[in-house]
Formats: sequence, structure tokens, C-alpha cells
Amino acid sequence: MTSRRDLFIDLSVELTGYSRVQLLGTGMSERYLQALDEVLPDGMVDEFLATSAALPTMTIDAILRSETWGPVTRNIMILWYCGRWTALPDSWRAVHGTRPADSNHVISADSYQAGLQWVAAGAHPAGARQQGFGAWTVAPEEAAS
Amino acid sequence: MIFPRDATRRTDHKAASETFYDVVVVGSGISGAIIAEQLSQAGKRVLVLEAAADEDRSLKGYEGFLSRFYAAASKDNQSPYPHNPNAPMPRSTDARRIWPGQPDSSAYLVQNGPFSSDTTYTRVLGGTTMHWEAKTPRMLPQDFHLRTMFGLGQDWPLTYDDLSPYYVQAERELGVSADVEHQSYLGATFDPGYVFPMHELPLSYLDKVVAKGVDGTFVELDGEQFELSVRAFPQARNGVPNAAYDNGKGYVPVGAVNTHQVEEGERCQGNNNCVPLCPVQAKYHAGKTLAKALQDGRVDLLTRTVASKVLVDPATGRVDGIEVKVYQDPESPQHTTMIMRGQIFVLAANAIENPRLMLASGLSGSSGLMGRNLMDHAYLLSWALLPEMAGTFRGTNCTGGIVDLRAGSFRRQQAAFAVDIHNDGWGWATGAPYSDLVDLVDQQNLFGAELRRALPDRISRQLLLALMIDVLPNESNRVTVDPAYTDQLGNMRPVISYTVPEYTMRGVAYARQFARQVFQRLGAADHTAYDPTDGAYLTYEGEGYVIRGGNHLAGTHMMGTNSRNSVVDAQQRSWDHPNLYLVGGGSMPTIGTSNVTLTMAALCYRSAERIIAQLQDELSARLQTPAPTELPMPTVVAAS
Repeated sequence: MTSRRDLFIDLSVELTGYSRVQLLGTGMSERYLQALDEVLPDGMVDEFLATSAALPTMTIDAILRSETWGPVTRNIMILWYCGRWTALPDSWRAVHGTRPADSNHVISADSYQAGLQWVAAGAHPAGARQQGFGAWTVAPEEAAS
Repeated sequence: MIFPRDATRRTDHKAASETFYDVVVVGSGISGAIIAEQLSQAGKRVLVLEAAADEDRSLKGYEGFLSRFYAAASKDNQSPYPHNPNAPMPRSTDARRIWPGQPDSSAYLVQNGPFSSDTTYTRVLGGTTMHWEAKTPRMLPQDFHLRTMFGLGQDWPLTYDDLSPYYVQAERELGVSADVEHQSYLGATFDPGYVFPMHELPLSYLDKVVAKGVDGTFVELDGEQFELSVRAFPQARNGVPNAAYDNGKGYVPVGAVNTHQVEEGERCQGNNNCVPLCPVQAKYHAGKTLAKALQDGRVDLLTRTVASKVLVDPATGRVDGIEVKVYQDPESPQHTTMIMRGQIFVLAANAIENPRLMLASGLSGSSGLMGRNLMDHAYLLSWALLPEMAGTFRGTNCTGGIVDLRAGSFRRQQAAFAVDIHNDGWGWATGAPYSDLVDLVDQQNLFGAELRRALPDRISRQLLLALMIDVLPNESNRVTVDPAYTDQLGNMRPVISYTVPEYTMRGVAYARQFARQVFQRLGAADHTAYDPTDGAYLTYEGEGYVIRGGNHLAGTHMMGTNSRNSVVDAQQRSWDHPNLYLVGGGSMPTIGTSNVTLTMAALCYRSAERIIAQLQDELSARLQTPAPTELPMPTVVAAS
């Protein structure tokens, strides 16, 4: 049986455009899954993972359009790209309830540094994983190619 | 030099209160640190009082700030520094819209308006240099004579040439990286053969993209043609030492080269995080000067010690002591009150806290100018998307800019300005790159590979110009106190009344046009939008703007030529209290288009010389007169 983490990673690969190896390389997958467990009502994470696993690949937009799963799915993208959780919309909370962890916050000092937004932009998180003295003078890869 | 780990523990509050120091300094920021270090070198006994709760400025504490920053939801310039109700500080996120007649007292600064400023300063060991960006331009010669030249503001009781040797001292201490050939413009001169301690930091790729469209183009203003170019800013940041420095003796940056560089300061690595905290201490902060001051044991440092009152002998006008409130737990109002004594007192708590303390002590001064003429650069942000990838979000926060409109005859009518090219994209204006990602995910419904591809296109082309605009002194822009507003220890909080002067707004309106012109020359799409619901939104001649605070606070205890037109003399000594110096940005009569710290540092080197001379004079006077009934007034050195 596929583990929860594997299901979560499989889904995240579709959502982020990054490979399994790249996502595991951030070191954050367990922590993000834990964040989901803290925010969503009991049992809902597993239901979500099962729902997404049952979808054929490349039909992610089906869950993005879902009123239940859409906001959660978008938050997972922001989690991977920025390392932070964004409070779910009030309309979502009205139906599914509110947990204290469902607030705008950075998951941890590590998650901030693991944000994929910086990697995608050919940059680095402000204040971490710096590129070295003078690297800023060189053309970014996209401009050079 | 490594910060001595026992620095705050080796001095006992009671023992300090029983010691008569040569000099008592309030504040451990750059001004206090420089004065303490210079006096210690001259063999004087110094006590430094710091309100913050820090233990020291060692690597451990520094890394604590860094972790706090990483995990903070808002990455504003105070995000690494803990909230301390006993030494509260303003935060840019505190600023609210002010409605007429209703001061906003919800945060530390009580804002009386009409303009609501998001200006900040940092109350930690090392002061605001912990969060500053470390740009260190000198003021231009013209900046010292605006009254004579244009009938505006105030003349300084000093000239550029008077201050020049002290600028050299400050540039050495701060470790400035710059090239003389790029800093000799608009009348700024350097001694023959002078070079900065380190070579200028290389321009970013983004700067070079901007330069392609800007260099060699002209703008006309007040009938004068100005040729534009992108130029590197001088920065107090470790770069490559210049072997020609100090007549070929060279320069060794703090921390280089040794096995504990990580504890003292490495070379800049381009963390793009100068504000709010350089992760590797490549950026100068006052902890570096304090570490030197604390080496020989002549300087005592007390933290958790909040100056609450300046005590003056009514007969002589001399300061007798500083009353302090000493606390243990930042969360608890419990404290002990003590008095610290010395021969000379220096207030180095910044341009808001210095007058706040004086006014809270009932010392408004004979000129009536204490707390008045509050200045802070007005920042106008303009942002655009470049037609090509520019590699934004790499480098220091800012490496280059356009400074050709810092001086000129147009200053008769409108404020001069300097332009920063921000290597951190639209972050300051929009919260990028986070805001871009949220937009792509929530509004554009992108995901997967498409999202990954869209992101660099969106953020690697970002260009933000921060136009830093001159603000002249105006007596109604001021700091006051009111017993209705106090902090947890019962100290009165600063009450700020502030309007952006019309002269500045004319500069703002022109600066906005200028930014548009630059964007056009670059073929960049202007995305600037000022939110009318922003507390700092202003309209001028039918156009709306949002003005951000520069955290370049000045003017509130202005220096001048006599006790009627100023609070302090050209040495930053109080006209009313002959053994009291009020130092820092508050002494500056004007700020021009120069970030204030380097000038403050230069002024403090000058004051340190005068304080040493005054201690000597008073000592000789005491020796000559065995039982003086009155201490002689030291001679005031007239500035040229």
C-alpha cells in the first residue's frame, strides 16, 4: 500500500511542477503533511489524499475546482513555494470548521529557507543559501540562454 | 574583535551607581558606541546604558535574531527583534490611517498626524544599525548651505570641508566599500590620494540592465541639463580591501582573516537581506565598535537599564545624573530606580528618543526647539516589469542607483532626490515574491509546470525604484510627550506630529515623473499603483502617492550658531547644559539626500574630541581651584 507521504508527494509533484526527488530534497514533506493534519478536521487529510490519488494524472484541475478541496490544494502549493500556511477562506471554515493552526504563519525557519519560489526564480531565499560575493553581477540563466 | 561574552554581566548596577564616571552614555547604537570607544582609547571611564534586554552581541544571540526572522510571517525591518514592553519600539506594520483630531495611540509611537509615518528605529544592543541597510553616502557640499544658497531650511554651523576628516574616520570604522572616482560628483571632493577602505561592491546584473537604458541620457530641470548614469552606492559592507588605503598600508576588515570570521563578520555573500539583518555580519553594525570599546575594561555596559530622567542642577544648569529604571523581566513592569553619575553625559538614543527623554525630564530648552524640526526622508516607490530577465532577487538589497539629481539650482523650488535600484524586486511595495505567487495560484489558477515557468517570468523582471526625497526642517513636525501616554515602565512615549512639507511634495511629483521616464527608456511596463486606503496615502495637485518612512530620523535637537536658533552647538553640546551632549541625527540641521548614519558617525568622532578636551579643561580647572564653588564654563569652539 502506498504510504500517506507517498500519496502526498505524488500529488505535490503535479501541483508544483517539481520532481519527487526535488521535493524530498527540501526535507519538508513530513512537516508539511503534519501541518495539514494540524489544520484539517480529523480524517480529512486521508480523504483528500485518497480523492486525489483516485484521479487520473493531469486532471488536477478537478480538485482545484472543488469547493472542498480547491482551497486546500492551493494552500499546498503556497506551502511548497513559500513555506507558509495561509488561513483557509471563511466560507470554507463555515462548512468544515476551524482549527487554531489554521492561521497565516511560516511553518518554521527551515520551511522559509526551503521555499521553491526562490529556486524557480533562479534566486535564493532572502537571508539564506546565498550565491556568494559578486554572483549578483552575472546574468541569470534564463537571460544568458 | 569578538564581543566580550561577560560584557553585560561584569558590571553590577549597584556598583555602577556608586561610581563617578568620566562619561555616561545613553544608548548603545552607533553614536554611543563610537563615543564610548573613542573615550576609552583616551583612557576615560565610561558607562553605557542600554534599554534593551540583550545579553551581548555574540554569534549565539545574533543567530537567535536570524531564526526569528526566518520564521516571522511579516519580514519587516523589526521582524528579527523581540518585542520588549519595557523598551518598546515602533514597527512599520503599526502605522494606521489617522483621522483628524484622533491621535493613533495603538502602538508605541503616538501618531498625532496629519500624516501617519511608518518610520522605525530598533531598540536593541547596537541600535538601528542592526537593521539598517548600510548605504553610506556623504552629504554634498551644497547640503550644508541651503539657507544661504536658496533661502531654505537651515545652514549648518559646519562645512563639508570641516566634516571631511571625520568622514574619513567614520569610513574607516564602518568599513566602507566605494570607489572615489564614482563618488566625486556634484561638488563632493576627497583628499588627493584618498581611497575608501574597500573597493566598491560590483553592480548587480539588474543595475546593468537599467544602465543600458539610462546611462548617457539627460533630463532637464530648472534650465539645467543633467546627464544620468547608474552608479554604485558606498556601503558599510565587507567587500574587497583596497591595497592603496591609508597610503598603501591597506585595510583589514573586521573579522578578516582569522578562524572565527563567522563570529565577527565575513565578506558580503549577497544574502539580499541587509535589512532587517545581514546573516553573516558583512554589514557593519554598532556591535563591532562596542566590541572594541569593551576590550580594555574602561567601558562598563548595563542593559535592561532604561534612562527615565535627566537630572539637572538648577543653579549651574549642569546635569547631575541620569535616573534609570532597571528591570529583569521584559514582560514585567517591576523595576528598581537608580541614579548614574558622571562628569559628562551623552544622550545617544536617537532623534526621537533623545528629545523624548529631555522633554519627559521637563527640559524643553531655552530655544524651545527641543523635539521640533523632525525630519525623515520621504520614500516614493515606483515599480515596473522589465522586458527582459534581469535576475532580480540577487545581491545586496541595493547596489546601484541614480544620484545625479541630488543637487542643482532646482532645489530653489523642489526637493532633490536620490534613486535606489532595488535588488529585492517589488518586495517593499507589494510583498513580492510571496504576493506574486499567491496571485498566480489564487487568481491565475496556475499549477504544476505552468506555475513553475510563470514565476521567474514574473519576478526575475521586477524593477523597483525607491526615490529618496529631501525633507527640510519644519518646526511643526515634532516629537512631544504627554503624561496620558506611557509605556509599561511608566516612561512617557513619543508623540509625533508630522506633515510632509509641500517642498518635498513638489519633489515627489517630479520624482514620479522621473521614474516614468526611466521606465519608458527601458521599455518597462509601469505597474505602480498607490492604494488610497493606505495610511500614508497623500494627494498633491490631483495625483495620489504613498510616502514611506526612511528611518533617517533627524533635526530634533538641531545644531546651530547660538542658543536661540538651535539646541546644540557645532560639537553637539547642549547650549543650556554645559556637560551634556545630545548626539546623532537629531543634531543635523538638514539631511539633504544622504542616508544619515555616516554623517552621524562623523559628527560623533568630532564630539568625542571635544568631550576629551572638555574633561581635560575641567580637570585642570579643578586642580587650579582647590574648592570651586562653581565650575567654569568651558569655551565653545566656534565652527568656521
